[in-house]
Amino acid sequence: MESVNTNKRRATDNVCISYTGLFDSEILTILAQGIEGTLTSNDKVTKKVFKIFLELAQNISQYSLEREPNSSGESMGVGTMLIKEYDDYFQFSTGNKTTMESIIPVIEKCDNINSMTREKLREYRRLQRNMPASQKGGGNIGLIQVALTADNPIEYGVVKCEDNNYFYIVSVKINK
Amino acid sequence: MNDIHIQESRDSYIIPAVDFVASTGKCIIKGESFLEETSKFYTELVDWLKDYVKNAKEIEFILQLKYFNTSTSKWILKMLSVLKQFELDGGKVKVLWYYYQDDADMRDDIKDYIYGSNLNIDMVPFTDN
Repeated sequence: MESVNTNKRRATDNVCISYTGLFDSEILTILAQGIEGTLTSNDKVTKKVFKIFLELAQNISQYSLEREPNSSGESMGVGTMLIKEYDDYFQFSTGNKTTMESIIPVIEKCDNINSMTREKLREYRRLQRNMPASQKGGGNIGLIQVALTADNPIEYGVVKCEDNNYFYIVSVKINK
Repeated sequence: MNDIHIQESRDSYIIPAVDFVASTGKCIIKGESFLEETSKFYTELVDWLKDYVKNAKEIEFILQLKYFNTSTSKWILKMLSVLKQFELDGGKVKVLWYYYQDDADMRDDIKDYIYGSNLNIDMVPFTDN
């Protein structure tokens, strides 16, 4: 069951936008409009959140283990997205189901990215741009771009599910 | 040789406006680029550029992208590589890249493209006003 909530900041839980469900082009367009319409106080920060949203949302649609057909019958990923607002920053998080085999290289990549300076990250991005695109066309640069855009470390967590798969959460702070 | 004209759209994903004009050699990509089938979209543009430079003396390539996703970013480099090869073969290449004045990330990114493509790219800041 899909659910979309876009609210101005609520004092209790700081949630601006939350969504759980299918990540296909239709909902990505709606969520993109939601982000641009809801986080209007700082244009520069809104742009950063928007960029990070598109990168991480595309990861869910392409790589989530949990899949459902969209209205055109294409298999698309299911996941969760959450944007919270605090005094000094926004916290952007996504989550989706995955397998341990799939998640280990992603976690290693996050650790590698977090160990790099901004200059090193830019160099790493330049190198990756010259590499052939991955099968799904993501270009293998998404997480580097997220770290560069947020200008903060990528936080992640992995939770075991009842079906023995895992729920992978990635989260970044975007300073105001 | 046919021109390429594509309208900017947000109906399904986010498609930039494209204007590649064979009679003038002026090629513009403008807007935002977040596509489902990046490869299909940009292969047409790369092929057009490769065809165009076969019989051309000069080309003007203008980018005004507020946002592009990472799969698009690889295709931008591919297009710039075609232009660099044209330049090495004796062609005259002018590249202009417009960016929001306050977008420091984009400014850094363009500098990385200058480094990566080895092309001279004129960076042009602009504002909405």
